Parts: sequence; structure tokens; C-alpha cells
Amino acid sequence: MTTKILIAGDGGQGVQTIAEIIGQAVFQNGKFVSIIPNYGLEQRGGVSLSYLKISDEKIVYPKFQTPDVLVLLSEQANSRTEAYQKKGVKIFYAKNYQELLSKEGLSPISLNLFFLGFLTQFLGEKILKVKEVEKLLSAKFSQKPNWPQNLKVFKIGLKVN
Amino acid sequence: MQIQPAKFCPGCGHPIVLLMLKKVLEEKGLLKKAVLGLDIGCSLLGWNFLPIHTFQTHHGRVTPTMLGFKRAKKDMLCFGLSGDGGAYAIGWQSLFHAARRDEPVTVIVVNNTVYGMTGGQVGPTGIKDLSVKPVCGPELLRDVVNEKAYLARTAVNDPKQMQEFLSKAIDAQLNGHFSLIEFLSFCPTNWKTKGIETTQYLDERLRTVFKVGEI
Amino acid sequence: MQACHDAGAKMMYGYPITPSSEILENWQKTKGKCLQTEDEIAAGFAVAGGALAGEKVFSATSGPGHILMQDAMVMAEAMRIPMVLIVAQRGGPSSGTVIYSQQEVTLACYGGNGEGFRLVYSPASLEELYTLTRRAFNEAWQYRLPAVVLTDGYALKAQGIFTKPKIQKKNIGAKSLFGTAEPVHVPNIFATEEELNTKLKEIQGDYCKAKSKVETYYEVGLKEAEVLVIAHGTVGASAEAAVLKLRKENKKVGLFRPVTLRPFPSARLNKVVSTKKWKKIVIIESSYGQLARLVHDELKVKNLPEILYLQKPGLGIEPEEIEDYIKKIK
Repeated sequence: MTTKILIAGDGGQGVQTIAEIIGQAVFQNGKFVSIIPNYGLEQRGGVSLSYLKISDEKIVYPKFQTPDVLVLLSEQANSRTEAYQKKGVKIFYAKNYQELLSKEGLSPISLNLFFLGFLTQFLGEKILKVKEVEKLLSAKFSQKPNWPQNLKVFKIGLKVN
Repeated sequence: MQIQPAKFCPGCGHPIVLLMLKKVLEEKGLLKKAVLGLDIGCSLLGWNFLPIHTFQTHHGRVTPTMLGFKRAKKDMLCFGLSGDGGAYAIGWQSLFHAARRDEPVTVIVVNNTVYGMTGGQVGPTGIKDLSVKPVCGPELLRDVVNEKAYLARTAVNDPKQMQEFLSKAIDAQLNGHFSLIEFLSFCPTNWKTKGIETTQYLDERLRTVFKVGEI
Repeated sequence: MQACHDAGAKMMYGYPITPSSEILENWQKTKGKCLQTEDEIAAGFAVAGGALAGEKVFSATSGPGHILMQDAMVMAEAMRIPMVLIVAQRGGPSSGTVIYSQQEVTLACYGGNGEGFRLVYSPASLEELYTLTRRAFNEAWQYRLPAVVLTDGYALKAQGIFTKPKIQKKNIGAKSLFGTAEPVHVPNIFATEEELNTKLKEIQGDYCKAKSKVETYYEVGLKEAEVLVIAHGTVGASAEAAVLKLRKENKKVGLFRPVTLRPFPSARLNKVVSTKKWKKIVIIESSYGQLARLVHDELKVKNLPEILYLQKPGLGIEPEEIEDYIKKIK
């Protein structure tokens, strides 16, 4: 069984951060995982992509042409990944969750953490454990400002169907 | 076939500098600890000329090679021999930054204002057309080096000063600092001078543009 | 980086360039002595200087920086300096992309004004990246030749599960040429053609002696195969995934993957190609033929089968693409 996830957003939105957390959590769960980042030239503002491959068997080649899941955090990411938006790919676009986040009074800056929770729930316990993701999230963010809001966004993502 | 060292032109300043270096090292008892890197130009002829370790490098690249050598073997005395072209044109960037970083090597620049080995083309220290300023290496470096770095200029027809400056440059390296000595030098082959004309050219032309002394 | 450390490297010189900058940053933070120079020219010569002095030193670079390193690399070829270079191929020519390619093969193997007296390794996995870097240091110092670990931006940025392979062989020690009482003199320029020619014959002789010990290849599925795929590095890994999948579907395809590009495993390649009547040979790479050029150089077999080329300069080549391509072959 192999799962291929492509996460795309603007540089600075934290795509690589959540990809790393997911990757670590998958690894802790005993599965094979590979992560390849891909970004534009600018330090800020370009597109940031992360290719995640999760497998029960050793991964020979980390990149893929067709993801199983495509997560889009921005309009720019949407246009950049047109080639990946084929039939059968499950696409989750941040635009569609804007309302939910504003209803809860949460800023779009934490979109990445929303999707971290979202993906954690979507992938399921077989692939990664919620507790592990929370632990990694806490290790990275609990000492930074806005931790309570960040944790809240993550938990909201977890609960989305 | 045995590899044979080539020979300097008659009247060249390089062997004067090299033999003085040997003398000073011997007096300090440091001959066996010395290693000499050579630029490619007339400097390359210094290969196998003295009884100290020598190796050739590339044109303009002797300073970075010697700093790498020194960082690996701090107990050896590292010298880089270069002409004015190798030091102040193609090699200026790496010389500038090595000096700025206070790399504890000693750079010896033999300045005869021309690219000798390729037939006498004007170098960065050319004095024929002074509307373009010649590079005064030690002066330019003074602004960016550590205050304990040793920078000086002398001439190959002043043995007493050569000896004094070389000794101080070596001391600077022993104390962990950068040192550079520029030697105003002869090139009768490309200057097309004979006998006394050569010394005159250095004394009357070079010395007026390039000031000797500690910088 | 871990491999360099385990190999006994003490010092790194470098200049930031994507996608190899992380090696410089991380080495500085965790492993050892480091100097960021003003450009790759200085870095290359500082590495040469350190190696001359008898210390294991290395640098890491890519694309435009890799070009500047050739100045020091040819000096290392001429003077038998064991400098080690990690090259992360990125798109070319010129500034290209900061991401990936296989377009620096010619540069790594034959860059500069020399005859290519170098050792070039092409890893196809994280494990190989480790083991080949360890080998690069050992073999550079054993045979006194400059060595290049030729990887790419995908491989260097990829994170994955990695079990450090156990290396049985002890590290070869580093020796200075100048530790003796008698002065040593090492030139790189000669007064006559004959002197140079004599020196080159000597280096060539040593290179040939090293060849049989160093050349390495990897094969899969050749016995039953009718189509032979040749690919290296990251594309080699992709090709392997494709070949394994196709074999499960009973397709008769196999892979020959050179692990060293210099010296190229020519004896084995020629044996593989001449031992049976191949339907087709397919050379796959992320460049316009830099691997193909090496293969053609080494192939001495008469009556070759048709050779096909899947070339995507600067683009990654996925296993699915390779599978589709092979399936379409008549």
C-alpha cells in the first residue's frame, strides 16, 4: 500500500513544516516515508510544494506524477499544480474551508495547521497516530506565540469530515 | 626522464627574493618548516629552486591554496609566491578576502609591472599610462586587515630592508596573522633594458609610484 | 554530510549555492571546521591545499559553482591531490534551475583541460549516497585522484528512512606529501612536451590499475530480459522501480545501472550487451545525452541492437513514465 500526498502553498505558509511533522509521525508509526520539497527561487512569495510518499515497502523513487491527495493552501498553488489535478485525485482546497475558519475566528495564517489536523484525520490511525502528531506539533510550536490558537486550529482540522 | 627545473632570466628579481627568503629562514632556524606555493607566471620557475618544499598552483590561486594548507598544517610556515598579475589581477579577489580574514600565511608579490612569462603585457601595476591608477596592493589591504597583520613594500636592490621585512613577515605568521610583502623587482627581458638601465628604471620609475616601507 | 564525517573529513570549504548549501550550513553547525570562502574558486583551491597538507577535506557545490571548481580539479588531476567534491546537479546550462538535473555528468567526468583522471560516483539511494561518499574519500586517498560524488537536488533534499550501512573496511589514512625531511617538489607545468607526456603516462597507468578495483555496477532482471535499460543516479532508481513493476507483469525488461561513471564499468557493460541478442537498448536520463555519450564511448560491441533514448533534460523521470515508454516499444 502506497499513499502519495502533494501539499502546495505559497512560500511562507508553512507547507514544509507540516510535511515534516507528517513525515516524522509516519516514521514513528513504523512505515516507510519520503519527503521531497520543491520551491521557487524567491525566499518569500513563490510556490512551495512537498511530495510525501508513504509506503509499507521500501521507497525506491520519491517523486510521483499522480498524487492520491492534493492539498492546496493558496490560489497560486492551485494554478501551479494544474497538471496534478487529474480524475481520481482527492483535492482539498483552502478556499473551501475559509468560511469555517472565519466562523471560529481563526486567522488564515494558520491554514497549514488546519490541514495538518485535516490530513491526520484523513490518513487514519493506520498511517499515523494523532497523539504523535500532537507531540511533534507541541515540540515545534508550544514555545512560540499564539500556541493556544494554533492548537485550536489543528483540532478543528482534526474534526472536519 | 627526470623533470628538470627551468631557469630565471639573467637579471631577474625573483631569485634575489627567493635567496633572501632562504637566508632569513635559515637564520631563524625555520628552513625545514617552510613550504612554498607558486603562482603560474615567472613565479613557477621557483619550483625546485630552493631546498624547501615547493609546489605549483594555478595563476591567481596560490593564496587560497596556501590558506587551505596552513589550516590543515598549522605548524608549517606557508608562503605564496606570486607576480603582480597573479596577486593583483586574477588573484586579487582571493588575496583580498584571505587578508581580510587574517589567514596566517605570507604572500610574496614580485612586482615588475608586467606579465613577464607571456611577453611583457601591462599588468595591474603598469606605470606607462598613469591615467589608470596602478594597484597599490599593501595600501589597499591596510583598510581591511587585522591591525597586527604585516604589510610592506621593499625593492630587490635593498637587501637590508628585504631581510628586515621578511623577518617581520615571518614573525607575523608565527603570531597567527596575515602578512604580505611586495618586492619592486627587475625584468630586463621585458623592460628591454641593459645593465645599469635596469636598476635605474626601478629606482627612477617604480620607486616614484610605489612607496617602499611598512604600510 | 554524515558520510564525510564518518570518513574522517576534518574540514569543509564551500560557498552557498542551491541545492547544496545545507551541507555547508549543517557541517558548520554540527560536524567540524568550516570556511565559507568568497567563491568556489577559492574553496576548490583551499581544499587542494588542505589535501596537499595531508588532511581529509571536501567541498560541496552545484551548477555554476561546479564549473568554477574545475580550475582546482584539474590541478588535482595533475598533481594527484585527493580532493573530494559533492556535486548536487541542478538545471543547466547557466543558472538553469536550483532544483534538479543530470546535466553535469560531462563536467564531473571530463571538466577542465584534462583527461578526466577522476573518480565519479553516482548514487541512486540514500544508502548509496552514504556508502559512495565513504568510498570517495577512501579511494581518493588510496589512489591519489580527485573524486566526485555526483548526486542531484532531489536526492539531497529527500528525507526518508535511512539505516546507516555498516562499513567493514577501515578508513584509509590521509598522508601529507610534505612530511619528510627531504624537500618535496610537485609541479603541474613542464618545460617540454615529452616531460608532460611521461607524467601523463604515469597517471594513466595508475588510473588503469585503479579501474578494476573501483568500477561498480548494479543489475536487475537481466537474465530473462529482452529490453535493456541503462540509467544512473536518481533516474536509475526510478528505472529500477519501473523495471520491477514491469517484471511483475511478465514484461521482459532489465536494468544495467553504472554506479561509477569514472571509471565506467565498461567490461561488464560490454559483456552484458554481447551475451545475448537484445531487442532494444534504452538509455534514460535527465539530460540531452550526457550518459549516452559515456555509454557509446565504452561500448565496443559490433552489431548493436537498436538504441532508444528517453531524454528529459532538467526534468525528473517518474517510474510511471518509464513504464509507459517501455510498454510502447515494439
